[in-house]
Amino acid sequence: MMRLAVAGALVAALAGCQGIPADPDGTLDEVTGGTLQVGVTHNPPWTDVMDAANPSGSEVRLVEQWAADLDAEVSWTVGSESVLIDAMDRGELDLVIGGFRDDTPWMDRAALTAPYTESTGDDGAVEKHVMLAPLGENRFLVALETFLGRP
Amino acid sequence: MASRFRHPELPDEQAAILARAVRYEWLTIGYLALTIAAVGIVMGSSQALKTAWVEDLLSLAPPFAFLIATRIAAMPATARFPYGYFRATGVAHLVAGVALLTMGAVLVGESAISLVTNDRPPVGTVQLFGAPVWSGWLMIGVMALTIPVPVIFGRIKMKLARQLHNKVLYADADMNKADWMTAAGSIVGVTGIGLGFWWADSAAAAFIAASILWDGVKNTRGAITDLMDTRATTFDDDRPHPDAELVARYLQNLPWVDDVYVRVRDEGQFLHVEAFVVPRSNRSLTLERLEEARAACRALDWKLLDVVLTPVAEVPPLVASRSERRPS
Repeated sequence: MMRLAVAGALVAALAGCQGIPADPDGTLDEVTGGTLQVGVTHNPPWTDVMDAANPSGSEVRLVEQWAADLDAEVSWTVGSESVLIDAMDRGELDLVIGGFRDDTPWMDRAALTAPYTESTGDDGAVEKHVMLAPLGENRFLVALETFLGRP
Repeated sequence: MASRFRHPELPDEQAAILARAVRYEWLTIGYLALTIAAVGIVMGSSQALKTAWVEDLLSLAPPFAFLIATRIAAMPATARFPYGYFRATGVAHLVAGVALLTMGAVLVGESAISLVTNDRPPVGTVQLFGAPVWSGWLMIGVMALTIPVPVIFGRIKMKLARQLHNKVLYADADMNKADWMTAAGSIVGVTGIGLGFWWADSAAAAFIAASILWDGVKNTRGAITDLMDTRATTFDDDRPHPDAELVARYLQNLPWVDDVYVRVRDEGQFLHVEAFVVPRSNRSLTLERLEEARAACRALDWKLLDVVLTPVAEVPPLVASRSERRPS
């Protein structure tokens, strides 16, 4: 059971490490004190882009609060879901919002945050809401989820 | 319970070992069910964990194959199945082997594709006691917990497989013993994700998939060779089974025997022996001597259940190559 002891020690050592999980592309470091590039698609009351320069809605407000926490400016890009997801794939966006639910078909192309709130759909079913982050940028994802999970 | 599995021809000592083996296989299945549930809950988007999870699912196959085959092989011979049901073990072994081989190949392909297409696994947080915790820690913890038990089970079952001469049990024990590498591999993969090396996850998955594939190759090859009636070998396919030489030597030393050729095949739990004996003269061959020799051959080892002696004028040329005939 030597192996187990070694593995346990290793895990304990890693747990003390502040850098885990890391972002392969360093997204959180870039955003902090810089600019948060956010894609937004129209889906009131979560997001409203009737005034494209100044989006509004509950998710827009959340993102603005988080950006303030990170000491970052928000730069909004308005577009359709597929255009925004493509842009995030290319690394041009850090986050895509638009009242997405946890059963979104984009789950293979974006990292879904843990559901941060629930609503009731037209058919009475419970809908869990998420935001979409770049795949694999786990430090960024954990920071966002931690913010969203805060009461 | 144990008595249902007991083959009528198995001596008490081996029947007790078989009952123990059956108990351990049930324990293994229970343990695997727990592991599969736990890993299924925490696996998330990690390719390495998903592969490890599939391996856990697949490692249910050998224990089930063993339990089913043991039950079927114990059934007595019938008019329709005059050789008995011993081959059930070989069939079960083949099925388990092919399952491993197929899944291994699929998973190797999947991990290779996710490496090439630059798949970056997202691993976020879970709420644990009200605080957000990175899921990677949970994955590592669960995988670390799955390390010790299979290794212990593997060692115990390996011993039982040797005593029982059961290749399905051996294959299962062998897989269990190597199982810690799967867990260790997935821990390395998740740690890699944590450190920002996105490829570590797919690479670990490829490593695990390769080990499944290798298990499949070994088991399929072993099962096929046994079904092809290869020369009987020890339970781990390491060397020719010593019983063949025992029988040949015993018959060769009988005063009335001039020449002998023995072929032994493995039908699972037992060995089946065909011995061609050339008597010194027509008169030296009597029914009593044949019966006595056959009983003595069977008494050499409990595994020698089915011994057929065939008196011949000369050793059939088709089967007789000089080196095979007289093991020195």
